[in-house]
Amino acid sequence: MYNLIMKDVKLGVPFFYFLFPVLIGALMLIPGWIYFVVLLYFCWITIPNLFNQFKAQNDLMFTSMMPVTKRDMVKARVLVVIGLELLHILIAAIFGVFTMLLYPNLTYFFFPPNIGFWGLGIVMFAIFNLIFIPMFYKTAYKFGWALLVSVTAAMLFAGVAQWLGIQNPVLSDIFYGTGAGQLLNQTIILIAGIVIFAVFSFIAYRIAVKRFMQVEV
Amino acid sequence: MLALDVRNVSKSYPNFQLRNVSFQLEQGYIMGFIGANGAGKTTTIKSILNMTRMDSGEVHILGKNMAEHEIELKQEIGYAMGGVDFYTRSKMKTLTDVVKRFYANWDDETYRNYMRTFKLDENKKIAELSTGMKVKYNLAIALSHGAKLLILDEPTSGLDPVARDELLDIFQGLVAGGEISILFSTHITSDLEKCADFITFIENGQIIRSVEKEEFKESYLLLNGAANQLNQVKDRLISYKINSFGFTGLIHASDYDSACGIKAAIPSLEEIMIYFAKKEDQYV
Repeated sequence: MYNLIMKDVKLGVPFFYFLFPVLIGALMLIPGWIYFVVLLYFCWITIPNLFNQFKAQNDLMFTSMMPVTKRDMVKARVLVVIGLELLHILIAAIFGVFTMLLYPNLTYFFFPPNIGFWGLGIVMFAIFNLIFIPMFYKTAYKFGWALLVSVTAAMLFAGVAQWLGIQNPVLSDIFYGTGAGQLLNQTIILIAGIVIFAVFSFIAYRIAVKRFMQVEV
Repeated sequence: MLALDVRNVSKSYPNFQLRNVSFQLEQGYIMGFIGANGAGKTTTIKSILNMTRMDSGEVHILGKNMAEHEIELKQEIGYAMGGVDFYTRSKMKTLTDVVKRFYANWDDETYRNYMRTFKLDENKKIAELSTGMKVKYNLAIALSHGAKLLILDEPTSGLDPVARDELLDIFQGLVAGGEISILFSTHITSDLEKCADFITFIENGQIIRSVEKEEFKESYLLLNGAANQLNQVKDRLISYKINSFGFTGLIHASDYDSACGIKAAIPSLEEIMIYFAKKEDQYV
């Protein structure tokens, strides 16, 4: 398992995509932007480039020749995707802290980069994983439709969440407030988001393994 | 001991069927696996390696069932494909560093020796290697993790005669110790004339024969006769070609009656392959 992850880190994932979260994370410094977009860049750019790279380098065939199980092949790949997602969120969140410090008096129309927002961000990735990973493992090389459907779902979630955050007074209070009560609610949302991310990613992995078992390399 | 024991492997595709493929390879020998393009060589090899799902049948490697001991057995198998590249923009050094972690019996010393013997520079990228060098690199990897069974899918295709001959010498050197066995699929039959001990011949998804090489060739005869002699043997020929001098046709040695006066010779592997392929065409 560890070897498979190292294989992706050393061969499969170009170094640039470990640097990319920093470049994209810096976009958090744009005041009052729709910060969902920062996370969506991962789905728009990193994922298609990565999976194209795997396809172009015959990664599937290469890995199948190694003494590894098909289950571990999926597990390692899912962990690599999750790892990169967390890297994106973590670095963006760090930039988010600076944004808050840099513009303390800004009135946010879209969600401010606070704890509650990151809870929603991680749920967006959870939805992306739940759709992309199982759809991709139907063939283990075609990712176009999987990407289209999963990105659309993630964007819909972000759009609806943002719309409700603006329109609904209760949600607006939770996500835009800075008081102790709102902070507590936001923390609960973040924890719930992490749980949803873990559960969705696990379900995605299980379905992907089942499908990948039927795939002929 | 049997290095490889394939038993009744069947697999159906919409346009192609592998039917009851069975053959055995003794440890310490080279088996040539021949057949025309699309005859089922690669499908068989992929079934052996558990890369495709078999409809039925079993594969045993070094006495163990592949389906049950896949991970353990893959430690003992070296696999090289001609014409398929992985991570071509990476240096061999990087690739080796990744690959070696997967193998419990990896030996750096052996690896360095083979890289030296094969004159491979670790700092070169895969894309910079010639076809022959790529095969050698794959072999170096396989041998460094102590593979006992080498499965080589068209390893000599695309190589020049000098490189092919060199590789064949290497193969023969490897099996000389009696421990390593090689299954070698190819349609370049002259390679097998030089180095194979056994021949397994597959045609249209079925194994025609799997025997010792000379016995394989001697079990057929190539007849050369005048046009008017064709009718005497026509029904018994596997297939035949008509030319301006008469005809040439392939026949099972057991079907040949020397009293008929038609000139007969032992065919080459290539001739056997061609006449069998021709037979298939006749029924299309």
